[in-house]
Amino acid sequence: MEGVDFPIRCFSCGSVIGHLYAEYRKKLEEGKSPKEALDEMGIERYCCRRMFLTYKSVLNEIAKFHGAVG
Amino acid sequence: MEILEENDLKVRFILRDAPIAFANSFRRAMKSLVPTMAVDYVVFYMNTSYLYDEIIAHRIGLIPIKTDLERFNMPERCVCNGEGCPNCQISFRLNVEGPKVVYSGDLISEDPEVKPVYDSIPIVELYEGQQLMIEAVARLGTGREHAKYQPVSACYYKIVPNIVVNENCKNCGECVKACPRGVLKLDGKLKVSNVLDCSMCMECVKVCEENAIRIEETENYLFVVEGTGALPVRTVMKKALEILKEKAEEMNKILKEII
Repeated sequence: MEGVDFPIRCFSCGSVIGHLYAEYRKKLEEGKSPKEALDEMGIERYCCRRMFLTYKSVLNEIAKFHGAVG
Repeated sequence: MEILEENDLKVRFILRDAPIAFANSFRRAMKSLVPTMAVDYVVFYMNTSYLYDEIIAHRIGLIPIKTDLERFNMPERCVCNGEGCPNCQISFRLNVEGPKVVYSGDLISEDPEVKPVYDSIPIVELYEGQQLMIEAVARLGTGREHAKYQPVSACYYKIVPNIVVNENCKNCGECVKACPRGVLKLDGKLKVSNVLDCSMCMECVKVCEENAIRIEETENYLFVVEGTGALPVRTVMKKALEILKEKAEEMNKILKEII
């Protein structure tokens, strides 16, 4: 699943964002732009906003090889 | 003190007629002296997930936990002398097998009242055949020790300025155009519409050819305090003031002894 290793807190301000990624994802799938999605969720500061915009799952990349190794 | 906006997670208020040193110590007390609960010690019995023990422990540490300050002692001031007892710590158990996403809500607390603030924070995804069995011990701590104990995330203040327009003003409107935050308004006469947005950039003062605008610093501060959910922000504010008062009284006592 996408978003399972999303940071729990914003790196800069420490605001809790871990539980919001699934909602963000859902909004994007509905066809909203990242800006609209983040505005609706009340993510105001640009430090928290970049957490959503620049996230890339490492866990999913590793998991592609599940079963092939160990 | 005047409260402009309030809920459990965010408070905006104006602190009036206070020295700036007090405003700053209030901010610092909220950030680093008010205790909250966070997981500090994790025992891994089994971890066959793709993440290292340390990464999982770090992620669990960052999860805010609902705190009851009346019930728990700071470990160093506890009857057990910091060894760990039910008065100063609480443990969570977790035992899950994949395939499954492990959420913060899966942590089983010893006490149903002390639990993570949000149940839907993902910790790790377990794939087929993977297992995670841990015990996590939470205790009280302060933001001074580690940022995970901070009861507030964003906590800042700024001076509410006093914008004075004198009789030299020709209502040319240059300052209205120059202001990046839309603080000034030309409504027949030049008016200040929302002082709270002013960042004291002085653009209006620079652009005014008549030297009609002056911006003064005041002793009023606009505070914005955002909480993590571990404690309601109002409790954080109250507790911070109590701690400051305690410290000031201690300082007075020391001073009396010296003189």
